[in-house]
Formats: sequence, structure tokens, C-alpha cells
Amino acid sequence: MRRLAYVVGAAWQGFWRNPVMSVASTLTVSLMLLLFAFFTMTDRGLQAAVAVLESKVEIAVYLADDARPSDVLELRERISNDPAVAEVSYVSREQAMERLREIASRRPDLQLEEIGQNPLPASLEVKLAKAQEARRVSGMLRDEMGRGLITDVDDNPSVVDKLLTITRVLSIGGLAVLAMMLFVALFVIVNTIRIAVHARRDEIEIMKLVGATDWFVRWPFVLEGMLVGALGAIVALGAILAVAGPVSSALVGFLDVVPVSFGPEFIGQLVAGIFGFALLVGAGGATLSVRNHLAK
Amino acid sequence: MIRLEGVSKRYPNGTEALRDLDLHIGPAEFVFVVGSSGAGKSTLNRLLIREELPSSGRVVVDGEDIVRMRRSRVPYLRRKVGVVFQDFKLLKTKTVAENVAFALLVTGHSGREVRGETERVLSLVGLSQRRDHFPRELSGGEQQRTAIARALVNRPKVLIADEPTGNLDPVTTWEIIKLLVRVQEMGTTLLVATHNAEIVNALRRRVVHLDHGQLIRDEREGLYAA
Repeated sequence: MRRLAYVVGAAWQGFWRNPVMSVASTLTVSLMLLLFAFFTMTDRGLQAAVAVLESKVEIAVYLADDARPSDVLELRERISNDPAVAEVSYVSREQAMERLREIASRRPDLQLEEIGQNPLPASLEVKLAKAQEARRVSGMLRDEMGRGLITDVDDNPSVVDKLLTITRVLSIGGLAVLAMMLFVALFVIVNTIRIAVHARRDEIEIMKLVGATDWFVRWPFVLEGMLVGALGAIVALGAILAVAGPVSSALVGFLDVVPVSFGPEFIGQLVAGIFGFALLVGAGGATLSVRNHLAK
Repeated sequence: MIRLEGVSKRYPNGTEALRDLDLHIGPAEFVFVVGSSGAGKSTLNRLLIREELPSSGRVVVDGEDIVRMRRSRVPYLRRKVGVVFQDFKLLKTKTVAENVAFALLVTGHSGREVRGETERVLSLVGLSQRRDHFPRELSGGEQQRTAIARALVNRPKVLIADEPTGNLDPVTTWEIIKLLVRVQEMGTTLLVATHNAEIVNALRRRVVHLDHGQLIRDEREGLYAA
């Protein structure tokens, strides 16, 4: 008990011995955590958006009117076997006409004139499991055009392509910014703790002389670092809470379209992530700055 | 208790602090280590608490080869080997009792042990009345007695005193030496590095004389100079 009291007391004293430095490092940690939270949430939103759009990516493969059923079946089989493909369904000429009529009935501006024969071709509709493969799959099918079976290939993956690029750039950029912030936060914490170590260098010397273990020497500083981290996490979470209301009402339109959930589970993960990250950075920084004093 | 075999210490700058030193000190022996500055006395002390490692040779303390000892074991060695310095090295912001209790506190003793043992050594060194004073309120002799109390509170088997009376007047010097003799009589091995010829000659204890890192004299009831 008394040992614990000593360690906690020393950590608390260390924090307040140099309040300016401690507050500065706390705020740096907060800023880093805010960025961390921002990127996590943005990433989650974009992931959801990509998922929605990906599920809508389809390739339509139009078939020649005189195609033999066995050839069509063989083609369908071949496309299904591609790992990037989720589902292939056959749409006959009659079904295509039926769909067109249905669309027309809901659109009074479109008058469908009765014509003697059905002008629509039969097609295979390809749903993809991996949207980023759309270009490859459609390219592969286009190569088969003009051999009598496939007359045309229709795809529209460019939206997904762009979104994927944005997600990638954001992830890499976010990671880079986060790494930089992590470095800055570590640097500030290391220096804050180094001042605390310097202030207590006599005490450390005596501790080592009378046979205190390295961990006993280290603990107060590690705890002080974790205190800085925890306070930073609280400040960051407070800031997130303060802006969460206005931001989410502004995003309501977007969130309606994209089924992204910031439910209790995600919030719990975020809070745990922020605290875990903060404590780790605090303890890590402190360990780094005490290391030199324990080398002997 | 202490055994050195062929111990040499060469510092990176080329200084040879100890040269092929063989030394054996039994339990509860009282040994004066004499020699001019730079003879190797301080290096010997630092080797014994493993603040330095020898360049070659073996150092055995209480049956343990401390050269090959794992780093994580060093704190436990230092609980067996107490050290006292010329400049006392007391913590200015702590009282006499707190300075002594600190050594127990940071080696993981319980509150009851800390209180009991602190009172025990304070009465041993005669400072029970001064327990709540700060170092700046004490005389040099009282400060050194506080330092000795701190070194003894973990019940070490060996007490190393590096010029313990270097900063003290003759009367206080005698107080401290008498205290060290009592500590030895209670069963602790004493290693006292000193320049004080008077006390060495008066006590007639074992004298180990170092010169330029070499053992030049080892006498059972020796004098300061041959």
C-alpha cells in the first residue's frame, strides 16, 4: 500500500512540478488523439460508402440474338468461376422487355410505342464481389466481342474507382499525419518526463544505491507519462463530444444514404482505442526518457 | 565475504585504476583501505557494488560472482552492500527519519517494517531525538550518522565507507569511527577507505595499502604508513 502511495505520489508531484510542460504535452496528446478519432471515423464512413457503391457495381454482357444456349451457359459458368464475381444472372429478351415496360409505367413522360418485335437483346448481369476488379472483368469480356456470342459489354465502375482512390489516399495520408503526430507527441512526452527525471536525479541515485529495482525507479515516471496520456484522452473525448451533435446533424443526409453506424459499439471501441493509444504513448515516452538513467 | 582474484580495471581513457589485485576479506572483518588519491580505492568500492565491471578478474561478494551476475540481480547485491560517502548524499527535502525510511520504502518493505527498522537504526546511531530534522539543520557528524543509518537499515552484510570522515572535525571523526567499530562488532564487514592516518594508527586494524592500482601492503594490525 505504502509502495503504491509512494509511486502515485511521486507521479502526481512530477506532473505538477512543471505544469506548463505537462499541460503542453497533454494538449499535444489530445491533438494527436483527435486526429486519430477523425481519421478513424472518416475511414469508417468511406468504407461504408465504398461498400454501398460496390454492391451496386454491375457489368451487363449483351448477347447475340442467335447465340446457342449451350454457349451462353458455358460463358455464364466461366464468368461465375472468376473469384471477383459474386453472382451471374441471365436476363432473357422477354424479361428485358418486361423490365422496360415496368420502368415506363412509372414514368408517364416515357411513351412506349407498341412495336411488332422485341428489340432488346438477352444479357448476363454480373454482380461483383470485388468492385476494384470491375475493369479487369469487363476488359476480359470485351476481348470476346465479335466472336458471335457477346455483342456489347456495359460497365460503370468509374465512380467506385474514384472512391477507392480517395479512400486509399486518405488512408495513407491519414496514417502519415498520424505517424507524424505520434512522433511529436512522443517527443514532447519524452522531454516532459526528462525534466521530471532531472528534478529527481538525486533521489534516483540514492534509489539505485540502496538497491531499488529498475522497475521501482521507473514506475513513477511511467505513471506520470500515463497520466499525461489519460488527461490528453479526456480532453480529446470532451472535444469530440462537444462537436459530435452539430456535426452529426450536418451529416444526417449523408448518413441516410450510407448505412454507416456510429452506434454504442463503435463509440465504445473508439473510446477504448483512444485511451489505450494515449496510455501506450505516455508509458512509452516515459520509458524512453528514464532509460538513460537506468543504463548503469 | 569478499574475494577479488586477479582483478584489473582499465578505463576507456587508458587509466589503469587497478592492476591484478588479489584480496580476501572475511566476514565481520574491519579493513582500512589506504593510499594516495588515484591509488584505486574508489574504483575498488565501485566494483564491489557493481557500479563498474572489472576489465578482467573475478569479484565474489557473499558467495556470488558479481561480474557474471545478471543486471536484474544487481539491486539485490546492493541491499547486501551498504555504502557511505564523504558528502553524505542525503535528500535535502526529507527529514532524517524519511531519509532512512526511503531506503526501505524503495526496496519494497511494508509500512510496519519501515517504521520499526527506521527507529531501530536511528537509535543505533543515536539520532532518535533528531528524527524530524532536515539535513540542513544537522551538524556534519549528524548528517554522516544519518547516512550510516540509511546504509544499515537494509541489514547489509558489508558496509563500505568512502572517506566517511573527510569533511568532519577531529572530535566528530572519532564519533563516526566509534560508530563504525560498533557496526562491525555487530557482525558487519567494514571496508573504510581513508586518508586519516591518526585513526588508522590508533585502531590497529587490518590495513590494505593500494598504490597505482596495486596492492603493496596488507597487514593484520597495520599502521597508516609502513
